[in-house]
Amino acid sequence: MEAMPEEKAEFEEAEIKYVSYGGEHHLPLIMNLVDQELSEPYSIFTYRYFVYLWPQLSFLAFHKGKCVGTVVCKMGEHRNTFRGYIAMLVVIKPYRGRGIATELVTRSIRMMMESGCEEVTLEAEVTNKGALALYGRLGFIRAKRLFHYYLNGVDAFRLKLLFPPPPRQELSPSLDT
Amino acid sequence: MIQYNTGKSAKRRASSTRSPTPSLFEILSSSNYSPMSDNAVSEEASMDGHPPNLASIPASDSTIWADASPLLQAACTGLRDGELIHGDNFNLFAAMSALEIMDPKMDSGIVRTYYSIDEAIENGAAPIPISPDSTVDVQSTIDIMDHLLACEAAWHKGHSLAQTVFSCIYLLRLDRTAPHALLHSYCRVTRATCKAVVSLVSDARTHEEEDLFTMMYGLPLNGDGDDKCLSMLNAVEETISRQLRACKAASSKRRLPEDLEPLQSNPNLEEGFCKALLCRLRFRKHFFHILACMKRPQGRGLESARKHIASCTTELESILKSADFLRSCFGESCEGDIDDKTTASGREPIGFDAMLNSRLSAPMPPRAIKILSWKKAVEYFVKLLHDLDVICSHSLDEHLESLLRFVVQFQKSQPDLVARSHLQLLLVQDGKLYGRDPFFAVITKAAALPEATKNHDIQKNESILQLGMLVMNLLKILCTNAAWQRRKLGKLLQDWRVIYVQLELAFRNAFGEVSSSSNDENICMKIFQHILLWVEEQTYWIAFRFLILGFELELYSTSEYCMVYWYLYAVLIKLAEKTHLKMTVSYDTAKRKGKKKKDSPKDLARESRIPPAVLFLQCYMCLAEGLTMMLAALRNEISVFQSPGPFNTEQEKFAQHFELLQRACIPDHVSYPSYKESTTHARFSTLAMYNYFKDAQRIVKEVKSSFSNDPDRLSELRKLEQVAEHNSVAQNLICRLGALDPSLKVSFEFSHHPFFPTVVVKRS
Repeated sequence: MEAMPEEKAEFEEAEIKYVSYGGEHHLPLIMNLVDQELSEPYSIFTYRYFVYLWPQLSFLAFHKGKCVGTVVCKMGEHRNTFRGYIAMLVVIKPYRGRGIATELVTRSIRMMMESGCEEVTLEAEVTNKGALALYGRLGFIRAKRLFHYYLNGVDAFRLKLLFPPPPRQELSPSLDT
Repeated sequence: MIQYNTGKSAKRRASSTRSPTPSLFEILSSSNYSPMSDNAVSEEASMDGHPPNLASIPASDSTIWADASPLLQAACTGLRDGELIHGDNFNLFAAMSALEIMDPKMDSGIVRTYYSIDEAIENGAAPIPISPDSTVDVQSTIDIMDHLLACEAAWHKGHSLAQTVFSCIYLLRLDRTAPHALLHSYCRVTRATCKAVVSLVSDARTHEEEDLFTMMYGLPLNGDGDDKCLSMLNAVEETISRQLRACKAASSKRRLPEDLEPLQSNPNLEEGFCKALLCRLRFRKHFFHILACMKRPQGRGLESARKHIASCTTELESILKSADFLRSCFGESCEGDIDDKTTASGREPIGFDAMLNSRLSAPMPPRAIKILSWKKAVEYFVKLLHDLDVICSHSLDEHLESLLRFVVQFQKSQPDLVARSHLQLLLVQDGKLYGRDPFFAVITKAAALPEATKNHDIQKNESILQLGMLVMNLLKILCTNAAWQRRKLGKLLQDWRVIYVQLELAFRNAFGEVSSSSNDENICMKIFQHILLWVEEQTYWIAFRFLILGFELELYSTSEYCMVYWYLYAVLIKLAEKTHLKMTVSYDTAKRKGKKKKDSPKDLARESRIPPAVLFLQCYMCLAEGLTMMLAALRNEISVFQSPGPFNTEQEKFAQHFELLQRACIPDHVSYPSYKESTTHARFSTLAMYNYFKDAQRIVKEVKSSFSNDPDRLSELRKLEQVAEHNSVAQNLICRLGALDPSLKVSFEFSHHPFFPTVVVKRS
């Protein structure tokens, strides 16, 4: 329990700048955010794995030069499907509830779609109502429940978003049946 | 001497030594790298100021110790931000397994209290005797017993053995407790019990997601002489019983029969302590017996197990009652909420340190776990005993259909892993049901074939053998936790569909389309026909379970209910059809066998009447259809319960939720377009034309009397009745006001039934 009431930051949505991962200078920003907010311990190598191999899938949100949110993802072949995976999503408390997380995730998903992914997946705690609502609005379904997935005994949902099949390319009018 | 830099500089993170090829980092560890990284820890780590024992990792024939500090320093200076040393087996992905030494969130080897168990003991963490004051000694022993029980419950609930039961230093070094008979025998029985439970769950082999349970981490679970633990316990129990009789005699001023040494020095507390100890010892004794009895093959020990369960439950009640006495003993007020404490007395137990074993749990990151409170631990065991009793009371002579219903009903109380493993091992042993009935016999009985069929040669047919395996696996899967169960049931659908196709092919190959005159061929045909029908029915039953488990697991959002109930309806139609067909065919078979001499009017009436089991399914169908149409109308009229997203449509969600069913063509001719077609025209006006919920109410009334001897099904019918009643009213309300009153809010609550919601209409 926090002694002070949470202070919400005041800002216009237009003041938030979204940037694609641009290099090592962004890494400490991402690491600080995630270390602060999430309970899982990640070494620097974990971050590097994601941002070095898939820099185009990670995004940062800035407000007046301060990094207030980030999303870190990957994509790859998994059992004959080309699939995106959302590894970390954080927005600092004073900036939550204003659509920043949704915007970060949306940009990443769009990039995945454009890169040819057939689906996107992630795990979320069953108790994380905020995340479940966010991803639900974006079209994710709860594909599976994973019993005692987390070390604290909490179950997880595997969330999955299936993209519609890409529109078939028309070769030439004369070949249309 | 190697010393790791304990600073947090991002450049100087040590890497884990996973690479098999010699590399810079390989030099830093010996080939016998043990989690007891005594050498690697700098002097600041030891809290009490004693330097660590430096000789614990000796150099071997193939390794030497070398000071790599200059090399590391050079590498750090030479590397720029963002650069990584690559090796043949060391790349970005492999690097993710790196730990930061001395990071308490990652380093399992970090020293928190003591360096090792031996150091803990040397520093008096687990004294023997616990106290020179015999009263404190007894009191502390009881605290240890209570905390151990709490640890055991925490383990059963999913935490590691290393951090729960084996956080007890006395248990880790059991032999040194020998001078303390009470503690020694209690610990020994506890250890033997844990071993038995690990063995039970391992044998079940369906604890994939709960695999933490059976990880032994090299803990000392196998003790010499543990098989004699009960006789040791009995001896101690006998001594304390005598002591109790003696102090009761003393209090009633009768002459002391023997010259016994009292348990402790305060005569006023003697009786209370004796009683508190006796019920705890007896609980352990009976619990151990329960495990042994239930393990006996073919359910031979179930009746004895029930007796021990009853005794065990009584002892638990006494244990609970002893709390008042234990708390009041010294007039201490305990800090904090007594309900959170892990002992009856509220005092902290002596001799436990969960972090001592954290190295054994590596490479899992170190996590402090919360041991269950003593109250909750007792509650857990009460429930466990109840669940075990339900298993033991179950008759072993039932029809497969009622056995399946029993398992489903049993699972409703959400039994934990230990209870579920017991059930599974009772049901499936040595490839037979109850270790006694071959699965072919089980199938022929389930398929309503005559008794003699179970000896027929057809059981050697490859497909029939596979079918037996499928039934066996189905039973095992039904005993697992709901989340895992649903995933496995989904995969099973394909297997059952395939076996059906194979059987059908075998059937046609054997008999073509022409009925043969040979008697044996007639029998074979009959067997195939019955079994094929039964396989179809089972397949739809599995599909039904797969769909409704989604509600229990909260996999569906409200905007997906419409398609789920629609699909459920489609599956239920087929299930009812196959069930009815099977019953008709079996009735015909019985008739043809001459069991029915002629059709009396009563027989004819029965034949045309729909069997109660089918009516039951029709009730489900009405509710499913009613809900589908209501949701569709709400969506079409006032655009609620839909969830258009920026990336995909309802069609993708349909494909995802029903992928496994669609792939197995269960049912056939069911697709997203047909779903759209069924629901696209639903309006409040169409809804007003037919009330499916009233139909459900009517069926419930009709069918209740047929299940008067079945309390589970009666209870289910009552719930369905409530849902139907509420929803019928809600439907009328929505039809009348829905389009007119924009303030009307409709919600779906599972308040009466687990997978059919009650529709709640409110004004916002």
